[in-house]
Amino acid sequence: MQTSIRPLLSILLAVLFVLAAATASHAEKRIGVIMTGDVPYYGAMHGAFVAEIKKKFAGVEEVEVVLQKPFPNAISWSNAARKLIAFDVDLIVTYGAPATQAVLHEKSRIPLVYAGLYEPDQAKVSGQNVTGCGFKVPMSSIIRYFKRLKLIATLGIVFSSVEEDSVRQYEEMREIAALQNIKTEKIDIRSQTGLDQLLEKNPDAVFITGSALSHLWIDDILSILRKKHIPAADIFPDEQESGVLMTLFQPPQAQGQMAADMAAQILLGAKPGNIPSHTFRDTELVFNLKEARRFGIDFPIQLLIEATKVVK
Amino acid sequence: MSRFWESAHTFLKGLVFCLFVCFVWPPALTVSAGELPQQLLIGIEPEHNIFDQVERYRSLARYLTDQLGVEVKLTIMSRYGEVIKRFKTLKLDGAFLTSYTATMAIKELMLEPLVHPVNLSGEMTSQGYIFVRKDSGIGDIDGMRGKSIVFVDPATMEGYLFPLAYFRQHGITDMNREFNRFYFSGSHASAIFGVLDGRADIGAAKSTVFNKLADGDSSIQQELRIIAQSPKVPEITLCLRSEIDSDLRAKLTAVLLQMDKTPQGQKVLEQFQALRFVKSTTADFEKVAEMAQEARAAIGEHGK
Repeated sequence: MQTSIRPLLSILLAVLFVLAAATASHAEKRIGVIMTGDVPYYGAMHGAFVAEIKKKFAGVEEVEVVLQKPFPNAISWSNAARKLIAFDVDLIVTYGAPATQAVLHEKSRIPLVYAGLYEPDQAKVSGQNVTGCGFKVPMSSIIRYFKRLKLIATLGIVFSSVEEDSVRQYEEMREIAALQNIKTEKIDIRSQTGLDQLLEKNPDAVFITGSALSHLWIDDILSILRKKHIPAADIFPDEQESGVLMTLFQPPQAQGQMAADMAAQILLGAKPGNIPSHTFRDTELVFNLKEARRFGIDFPIQLLIEATKVVK
Repeated sequence: MSRFWESAHTFLKGLVFCLFVCFVWPPALTVSAGELPQQLLIGIEPEHNIFDQVERYRSLARYLTDQLGVEVKLTIMSRYGEVIKRFKTLKLDGAFLTSYTATMAIKELMLEPLVHPVNLSGEMTSQGYIFVRKDSGIGDIDGMRGKSIVFVDPATMEGYLFPLAYFRQHGITDMNREFNRFYFSGSHASAIFGVLDGRADIGAAKSTVFNKLADGDSSIQQELRIIAQSPKVPEITLCLRSEIDSDLRAKLTAVLLQMDKTPQGQKVLEQFQALRFVKSTTADFEKVAEMAQEARAAIGEHGK
């Protein structure tokens, strides 16, 4: 009995393997995606990307999306890029400058579409096989709104020196603050222990750059600032309403949709170099009145009317 | 005989009294009721910071009350677009009006322009600016196509009619087709902040607000570029109903024109944030009327 079952089992396993392989190979296009960090901003961007790409290929071709969410450091970004190259995807999509630069560093021939880059023109990410979109947030507006709420002599800037776009945001804010005679304090978050810097410094307000590392520990950062009675502004949206006083951000969904549009063009034969990159400049301004009350800050009505959303 | 003269005298006294009552008294009553009002009700158009605005105008109203012997009361006239309607419903005697509403009020309500202030920078006029962020890459009308625009209000010369006329002169006749989107911010300052923050690519607002904000915030000069400027027109003009007594009108005009020459008047002017008042004429508003005509043609073309 056992001897007669064995060949049958072998045949069954072979059939199952063939079926599984057939299902896997049914995906005719494969897109590899790398987020610079597993933060809600890139998550929202990716959600919009996937929805748009599925819409574009619905009923035409199956597209598989392989997502990598490495811990935000150079080795993990590089490993994620190498995995996707080894997987021989048809296209790589990256969110944020560090993930983009990690892919470019590998010098692969796989086309690359980036999104979520701060000022792509300044990010040195051009190439024949590369296109994408990014955003620009006017940093001066954050200082302007802070100054209408309280006296700002010193501004703390939370950034991460391992993230290229976060560094550029730090530099830009530092220059704008200097023009307005505002001192800046550097708070470089490279690991969780870096949060201790917040305990030692006492700026009048804090600006949080679009750093994936900083946003991994955003709740801890805001908790420390709240205890020290220091209000914060951010250029990533605070969807969880975790305690940022004001956010001035570019909605990530638009970038996800544009990245999908660019990806679709490339998968259908367009050359990335022929697709112009784009910088989104539209922003949303959110004031959190719950946090304002906690800090004893009164928002003047003239300021509130500038907001696109007010958290009450 | 003497009794005759006595009765004649009595009759004449009665006749004179009757004649006085019939021909002199009623007109005198009409004059006191219609031309010497107990109060002047003056409307003001709301600005960005309405609380500061009310404070500025309140001191002026108190000063005028003291100088004229007639109580000068102020009322805010809702939003820009309803000024003409509100002027009638509130039964106002006059109003401080921005250039377009003044033009419309002069035409439709027969108001007479009296005076307009010279601001602390020495400007007695304002002009419309069309501006963009310097890093937007927009340099001319062609660069504006497909972008988003923030206007102030449909009833502002600087914040709507001027840009509309400008676009039409440069071949843009269908706003809905040529621009990505447009919206109204409700105030000049909000239009400026809208472009600074990136909520719109292009903005329109009046020069006085733009320059004042730029004086207090260096980033505005550094980050915004003015693409076009309208002709200069009086920024705010005090206009009065034509039925107001001519003596009261003359006295009001004289008080306002002379107030920079007295210490008390200078103090009030300082609170009002003006150097002095200067005389206005209907000719000041001809440029606005021309621009409005051009803008109306544009509105007719793009249906907005």
